[in-house]
Amino acid sequence: MTRKILIVEDDAATAAYVAKGLAEAGFTTEQAGDGRDGLFLASDGLFDAIVADRMLPGLDGLAMIAAIRAAGVGTPVLVLSALGTVDDRIAGLEAGADDYLPKPFAFSELLARVSALLRRSGSAAAGGSMSTSRLVVGDLEVDLIARTVTRQGRQIAIGGREFALLEYLARNAGQMVTRTMMLEKVWNYHFDPGSNVVDVHMGRLRRKLEEGMEPPILHTVRGAGYRLAVDR
Amino acid sequence: MSRLPITVRIAALAALLSIATAIALAALIWQQTHEDAIGVLRRDAAQQTDTLATVHRTGGIRALDAAIAEISADDRDNSLVAAVVDAQGRRRIGVGPDRLARPLRPGFEIGVIGSGEPWSQSEAGVELRPLGRDYLVAGRLLNDWERTQRAIERALLWAVAAAVLLGVAGGVILSRYVARRVDRIADVVEGAAAGDMSRRVGLRPAGGDAFDRLGARVDGMLERIERLVGELRVVTDSVGHDLRSPLMRLRSRAEQAATSGDPAQRDAAIAGVLSEADTMLRMLSTLLEISRAEAGGAATFRRVDLAEMLDELGELYAPVAEDAGATLEVALPAPPPDPFPVHRELLSQALANLIDNALKYAPGTRIVLSLTAAPGGGMAIAVADGGPGMAEAERGEALARFGRLDSARGSPGAGLGLALVESVARLHGGRLILEDNRPGLVVTILLPAE
Repeated sequence: MTRKILIVEDDAATAAYVAKGLAEAGFTTEQAGDGRDGLFLASDGLFDAIVADRMLPGLDGLAMIAAIRAAGVGTPVLVLSALGTVDDRIAGLEAGADDYLPKPFAFSELLARVSALLRRSGSAAAGGSMSTSRLVVGDLEVDLIARTVTRQGRQIAIGGREFALLEYLARNAGQMVTRTMMLEKVWNYHFDPGSNVVDVHMGRLRRKLEEGMEPPILHTVRGAGYRLAVDR
Repeated sequence: MSRLPITVRIAALAALLSIATAIALAALIWQQTHEDAIGVLRRDAAQQTDTLATVHRTGGIRALDAAIAEISADDRDNSLVAAVVDAQGRRRIGVGPDRLARPLRPGFEIGVIGSGEPWSQSEAGVELRPLGRDYLVAGRLLNDWERTQRAIERALLWAVAAAVLLGVAGGVILSRYVARRVDRIADVVEGAAAGDMSRRVGLRPAGGDAFDRLGARVDGMLERIERLVGELRVVTDSVGHDLRSPLMRLRSRAEQAATSGDPAQRDAAIAGVLSEADTMLRMLSTLLEISRAEAGGAATFRRVDLAEMLDELGELYAPVAEDAGATLEVALPAPPPDPFPVHRELLSQALANLIDNALKYAPGTRIVLSLTAAPGGGMAIAVADGGPGMAEAERGEALARFGRLDSARGSPGAGLGLALVESVARLHGGRLILEDNRPGLVVTILLPAE
């Protein structure tokens, strides 16, 4: 079953760019040009995710989200906005958005975030991720309760922030996650630390996961991010 | 209807106030003293007139003449006035001046009533009443006390007149003074509006009134506007200048991609285009953060455990430092300090910038991220390195936006790092201090107490 995504965006060029990219990634999309239409379409609850611009004619993006939530619709929403400073992002998240992506953005970033949103809501619908105590990716097992990691039966010592990083990757197994997503979700930083901070941590994690073991499991998606998966 | 100019209104108000004050005072004094002597005189005169009129009604003019003679005999100080005058004011009978000098208007009046001794010597308070075709005049010359009273009353009248004059004059002077003080401030503001930001109202050395305070505020505002405009100009210039080179690189990469026939080369060129675009986006978003930090207030502050925040940053950057051949240590005060209100994200970003700078400009050294309690309840967060340090003269330049020291021109970076850090320090009401670490550089963010 293809996933349906609602795009609420008044700028036709951006809307077309997002719709085309999502269609190529295998999603069905529908578009609304302002907040009122967006609210109307979204209140059916038929969409799997909503990509909404923050500044919309008719009804402001954040107000639209509030109205959707008030109508009891829990469809995850990714907010796009030209307002990209840290305070703007935090305000967006506090207003009920599930994720916030400042413009301009790379499409790969948008796709990764939408996929993560869909996965999260999907697993929540299928029994709830809260009750998951073990994450399994191929021959890698992450025990969330004992906080242990084993691969091919061998235990790997991973703790602290690194464990959180692996958990995040494992929850999004098979999907690409970007550096900013990891900084936001694992470290709770909404700024760009500038240097290759995430890459250094990923390099260490990869060494621990792959040392003396085949096949590689933590893949670099060039110029975009990382993916935890057994296949290549 | 056009309103009067403010200076005229101030003058009028001042004049009215002083006149009203004078009149109120005069009225009060008059009311208090008048009753004492003049009131008694008026009652006496009225009573005497009544009596004499009754005598005249019952006994005619002769009886009246006799009655006046009788009263006159009792009058020891020769102050009695009791007479009948004809329509021209000539005395027919009784005691009084030969010709009455006051107008023949019924009622009580005080004034000089005639010529010749003793009538011209003193004023008299007399009641006048028609008596057939003649007039009955009764009362007496004022005694010393009453004369004093009259003098006081006249003085009060003059005082009110003087108050009117002084009030008007004072109003004019006051309005001129106010206008001059206001004009001085207005001139400076006008000059600023016309583009001359360099003029100032000027400060009074000590104390100062409301105008001085207003002037000082205006000066402070102009100071800030001038600084911001100056910075803006520098930023616009530097943005133009510093964005030119990545844009040129971007353009040449795009050109390579467009013209290259080899797919591998084309892919590499496109990847280069993307990374150049990312660099510029990062520069722009940092610029935005800086301007937001400078415009922002304390509304976005939350209480944050600074020790924990530094630990997290240390944990984030320690592997990066290690990979770069350096070490990163976090030094915290012994009992961790209480949560402190800060903008967590911006402060973290500022510290990340400092660590990043240390890694870049002091490679392979020991970097210490430390938290100490500053005197007065504030906190000091410092990043110290063991690198080449920074010459004193270079420190100011290092804080300017896009300011990159000549010695650093060779290495990559947008040069916005320290400017952001300084903005963040300012947002917290604090300061950024650059010091010599002998060897190396210590950059301290001083956060003042709440």
